[in-house]
Amino acid sequence: MSLIEVRNLTKRFPIRGGVLNRVINHVHAVSDISFEIASGETLGVVGESGCGKSTLGKTMIRLLEPTAGLVAYEGEQITGLNHSEMMPYRRKMQIIFQDPYSSLNPRLTVSATLKEAIKLHRVLGDGDSMDDYIDTLMRQVGLRPDDKRKFPHEFSGGQRQRIGIARALCVRPTFIVADEPVSALDVSIQAQVLNLMKDLKDELGLTMMFISHDLKVVEHFCDRVLVMYLGHVVEELPTDNLDRDAEHPYTKALLGANPIDDPDDRRPLTVLQGDVPSPINPPAGCAFAGRCELATDRCKVERPVLERKESGRMVACHEVA
Amino acid sequence: MIRRMARSRAWRKFTRNRTALVATGVIGLYAAIFLTIVGTQITDWAGVTNIGSRQGLQMRVLPPKWPGFLESAGIEQRYDAHDWQVSNLNRLFRKDLESMADPSGELAAVSLGERKLADKPIAELRALNEQLNEQFDAVGEVYDIYDEVNEEHHDLDDAIAKAKEGGDEEELAALRAQIEPLEQRRRDAESQLSTALDAVDEVYEELMPQPTGFGGVVYRFRTMFGSDVLGQSISGRAFYSIKIAFQVGLVVATISVLIGTLLGAVAGFYGGWIDSAVMWLISTLSSIPYLVLLAVLAFMFSGHQYFDNSAEYPELQLVKLYTAMGLTFWVGTARVIRGEVMKIKELEYVQAATAIGFGRFYIVLKHVIPNTFHIMFINFSLLFIGAIKSEVILSFLGLGVSGQPSWGTMISNSKDDLSNYFFWEVGAASFLMFVLVLAFNIVSDALQDAFDPKHV
Repeated sequence: MSLIEVRNLTKRFPIRGGVLNRVINHVHAVSDISFEIASGETLGVVGESGCGKSTLGKTMIRLLEPTAGLVAYEGEQITGLNHSEMMPYRRKMQIIFQDPYSSLNPRLTVSATLKEAIKLHRVLGDGDSMDDYIDTLMRQVGLRPDDKRKFPHEFSGGQRQRIGIARALCVRPTFIVADEPVSALDVSIQAQVLNLMKDLKDELGLTMMFISHDLKVVEHFCDRVLVMYLGHVVEELPTDNLDRDAEHPYTKALLGANPIDDPDDRRPLTVLQGDVPSPINPPAGCAFAGRCELATDRCKVERPVLERKESGRMVACHEVA
Repeated sequence: MIRRMARSRAWRKFTRNRTALVATGVIGLYAAIFLTIVGTQITDWAGVTNIGSRQGLQMRVLPPKWPGFLESAGIEQRYDAHDWQVSNLNRLFRKDLESMADPSGELAAVSLGERKLADKPIAELRALNEQLNEQFDAVGEVYDIYDEVNEEHHDLDDAIAKAKEGGDEEELAALRAQIEPLEQRRRDAESQLSTALDAVDEVYEELMPQPTGFGGVVYRFRTMFGSDVLGQSISGRAFYSIKIAFQVGLVVATISVLIGTLLGAVAGFYGGWIDSAVMWLISTLSSIPYLVLLAVLAFMFSGHQYFDNSAEYPELQLVKLYTAMGLTFWVGTARVIRGEVMKIKELEYVQAATAIGFGRFYIVLKHVIPNTFHIMFINFSLLFIGAIKSEVILSFLGLGVSGQPSWGTMISNSKDDLSNYFFWEVGAASFLMFVLVLAFNIVSDALQDAFDPKHV
């Protein structure tokens, strides 16, 4: 059974202007996205900057209110719930942020940050010691328990990200949105943090949605991946062998942009021409049509939907059979 | 909290700034004086020092417009002062002191300025007073000569002016020859008069000695800057004004920063119609000049039982100042805080708090406002001096403090005498205000430098 179910999720940000501050337009950040995440699965979401992957993640855990569509947790719809009704789901669903420097309150010590969340959700029973629990958490994310008395500015970027992970884990969630958790870190630290997350996921049986712009990281980390372009999912595919399975021209272009770690393996480099269309007035047809080699007249007027093709792949493209 | 502050980068940066540390010390000194005066008023210390007491401030410590240190009084002034002393003492000794029930009590109560009668038997005091009168009569004789010489000098000046006009060279030369001997006579008369006045001083010192010990320190302090038109101690009033200034500064800055932070944070965090309402309030209030608002309030409260210089609650007259400034000064703080909060609320730790499930009000209080402390701090020190300066201007205009000293009223009182080279009152008030405002400016500059992340 799927843990998370997303149906036709849409998020538009209004643009206000004019004398009376009326809504004059919208930014179409997430358009009509549907998918499911099975319990224990790790779903990757990739796409270039501004394609709406972070908005998707934040809307799913209701940091942002969806414009349309619904999100369900274990079959229970959580969109439209008020603050107190939402509380049990808040505990189940947590988020790890991209920027370790702005994701921690500079005025709170590590233990104060963790304590307020633990107290709010009454994570601990009557007999349990708060200090012991925090020490365990610190060890779990690879920090020394003594460090809990320090303030965020006394840590390095990688250590801060570990604290961010500890904060997400301290309420014992089942589902975690990891919003580009390693893209702000050094490559050497990236590997450490990724391995930590993988270990924790296996140890705690977490379900995860992993947002990234790096296909290689997603390939290593995830079971399945959604490829997003301008607010739409263009392809959904398993990560066993991305090079072989990719069907959508945009996915192929993303894969082609990855450097290959073999000097003898030379392939023709396909470089995408043009720019991403503006999300304020997205094109009527396929959003990728302007940059696509395969594009036909049909692509420019009719938007392809994400559907299962004859090959068994989930692709949103008229030209892929 | 304090341990963290001591370790923080901003604090280290602040302590490296020597000037700022000195300025902080100066502010500390002012604060100590402020607390002493407040303490004097709420406890019984007034009986010991009378520095902070209202009676002490209104008491005549010296003859009027007596100059402060580094400058000695002129001959006429000394003559006038002794005239006042002698006539007062004569009035006392004309009484039949010996037949009184408690003559020593009567004598102990006598004081001219800060000075009291020497602790001697009545007969001896009476003899000293006789001596004082004799010496003063002698001064009177010498003073007549001095007057005459001055008269002659005036006449001579007039004659020379007339001769110059007529162009009579011979007469002019003759008149000019008279100048030198006349000048000599005047110098002689002056030194004679000065000696005679010294003799009076000597007797007076014996009759009414300068206080010693703690009283001496107080006496020296209270006569340090001389006296104003009414003979009141300028230093006493100038230092008392610190209390008024701090009181206005503290209350206004606290009110303004509290209102400004609260409204600014709410506007910045919630946005929407709340933001529009607060911004409307800000632009409306900042278009009202606080001087006009204060004038309205002053007229509203004038003649009020409690709010207009009442004898029972003299502090309540400042309420109109607090109201006018508190209502208008918070807008600057609110604007800055609103901008900062709009920045902070987009940061990921605020989103993380939402994801954990905290309510918005809790997030504002716990995660947003504490991160604007540095702005509150800087704004407090800026508003503090702003309020003090406004209080001085308003008191100068007669809209602010009345019935008790303030730097503004002191400057206002002495402005007419400034052309007579009487600068002590303006000087003392301006100097104390200048040092305080300068110190605060230095400290708030240093705070801004220390907290500004752009200058690491």
